[in-house]
Amino acid sequence: MRALEPWVEQPLMTFLTESEARLTLLMTSAGQVVAQHGFTRAVDIMSAAALGAAIVSSTEEMARVLGVRPFRALTHQGESHGIFLSAFETPRGRWIGLVVYGQDTSLGLVQLFFDRMVDELTQGVPAEGGTKQVLAQDFESELHSSLRALFGR
Amino acid sequence: MTALYLESLEGLTRLRGVAGAMVVSADDGLVVAESLMEGIPGDAVAALAASLMRRMGTTVSAAGFSRPSFMHLQAARGALLVVPAGPDILLIAIGDRHINLGLARIEMLQAAEQLG
Amino acid sequence: MSEDIRVMTAQLAADPTSLVFLPLAEALRQRKLLDAARKVVLAGLSRYPELADAHNLYGRILGDHGDFEQAFDEWGIALRLDPDHAGAHKGIGFLYFVAGKLDQALEHLQAAQATLPDDEGVAAAMARVREALELDGSDPGAPSPTGPARVVEETEDITEQVFAGLEGAENGLLLVDQHGQRLGGGLLSPAGQNVADRVAAHLAGVSREATRAARLLEMGDWETVTVESDDGNLHLASPTADTVLLVVRPSAIPLGRLAALSERAASAARAWLESLT
Repeated sequence: MRALEPWVEQPLMTFLTESEARLTLLMTSAGQVVAQHGFTRAVDIMSAAALGAAIVSSTEEMARVLGVRPFRALTHQGESHGIFLSAFETPRGRWIGLVVYGQDTSLGLVQLFFDRMVDELTQGVPAEGGTKQVLAQDFESELHSSLRALFGR
Repeated sequence: MTALYLESLEGLTRLRGVAGAMVVSADDGLVVAESLMEGIPGDAVAALAASLMRRMGTTVSAAGFSRPSFMHLQAARGALLVVPAGPDILLIAIGDRHINLGLARIEMLQAAEQLG
Repeated sequence: MSEDIRVMTAQLAADPTSLVFLPLAEALRQRKLLDAARKVVLAGLSRYPELADAHNLYGRILGDHGDFEQAFDEWGIALRLDPDHAGAHKGIGFLYFVAGKLDQALEHLQAAQATLPDDEGVAAAMARVREALELDGSDPGAPSPTGPARVVEETEDITEQVFAGLEGAENGLLLVDQHGQRLGGGLLSPAGQNVADRVAAHLAGVSREATRAARLLEMGDWETVTVESDDGNLHLASPTADTVLLVVRPSAIPLGRLAALSERAASAARAWLESLT
């Protein structure tokens, strides 16, 4: 598990231990990666972050068009793995969690401990500093610097 | 179907010591229908009880036994009862230490038969 | 620092893209310098994330560290990158063996042997797993060498010691430690197979799950878990903080009687555990 900011580590570690998730990605709604667990290739993180942010954005737009409240979470149950995608508000702005889990756990457990992690993250945000807003022209360089930190390069 | 679920659940919650009853998807541990006293965390009960039942099912299978038909977790300050209602659904009851276990078990097995 | 490590470190410093990180990390691992080995292999993985050998080596380092869960992940990645990777198959086979999943352990070791037919380590590991399978009753027709026979005798001694004098002391009472290892007792399936170790391996997970459920639902410590099935009833209790006791009886036996038997067996288990200290 790697996180850009230390205060994210403990809530994420508790989530990983309790939920038994295989892969987890926490990112801002702009796709800037905040923390990751289980990914071994930078290219996978880049793709997952971009796709996750795009899926959340498009489903929120769909909810707006349909005149319903935004979806709380999106899930996909495959034969051997499930995917859980959920956006949540933090004092640092809107974040997105992407979780891949196997058959040794369940969607219910993932959702239960994800909600607890969100509570802990929301309460644990330090008063100072923060994940700065990412401008479109800075997006790529921000993403690459995040990836360097997340892979310890 | 939801009306049938709720009818069964309300019958269970009338029993002494039962604080809530739920219909839960067995694989996901998600709530399908619930009748709970205030303060009972339905999502947590569903996810944790389904997970315990799944692990217990694996253990029972390793012993060469068929699928569990009833499970009871007794703790210092409460009890959790689980009965499969068909292959994909679990009927779950949560209660205090003084739950009438014999009666709750019979009621749950009957309700599961109706739901399954 | 030994000469080989010094030379390889110099090579890597001169050319950070060199694959010398692999033998260097392995040399560090063999000298039990696990933190240094980990740093070297992670640096290598950041440049070669699709190198199965590097994931295999990282898995081995994690395994030496006792971090089996992450080691399993790393070997899994190695196998995704190279499905025939013998080292990763050996590693996963070992982890399955430790977890009591003997069939899966044998499957991976056979895959390793297909790539390395002359590897003595793989052959020895396969023999060990086959012995365990025989003990388990999964391979009753196989010949019984001296090793397993000795283990059976030891197991029978334990069975007699822990639950001596209790009804079903050899079949239907099982005492397990927090890691899922059998401390005493025995269990046969309805078909007559010895399933004691297999069930013991699962019980540690059940106990953890029961502890978590009771804690998060604010119900205090768990005391018992009772399960009914068509073939029999199971009663799970925790005689001490670090052990789990399973009582299994036919379904005709009332649950109340199971609880009474469990209490007597728990007392016997506590007395036996105290006698060990």
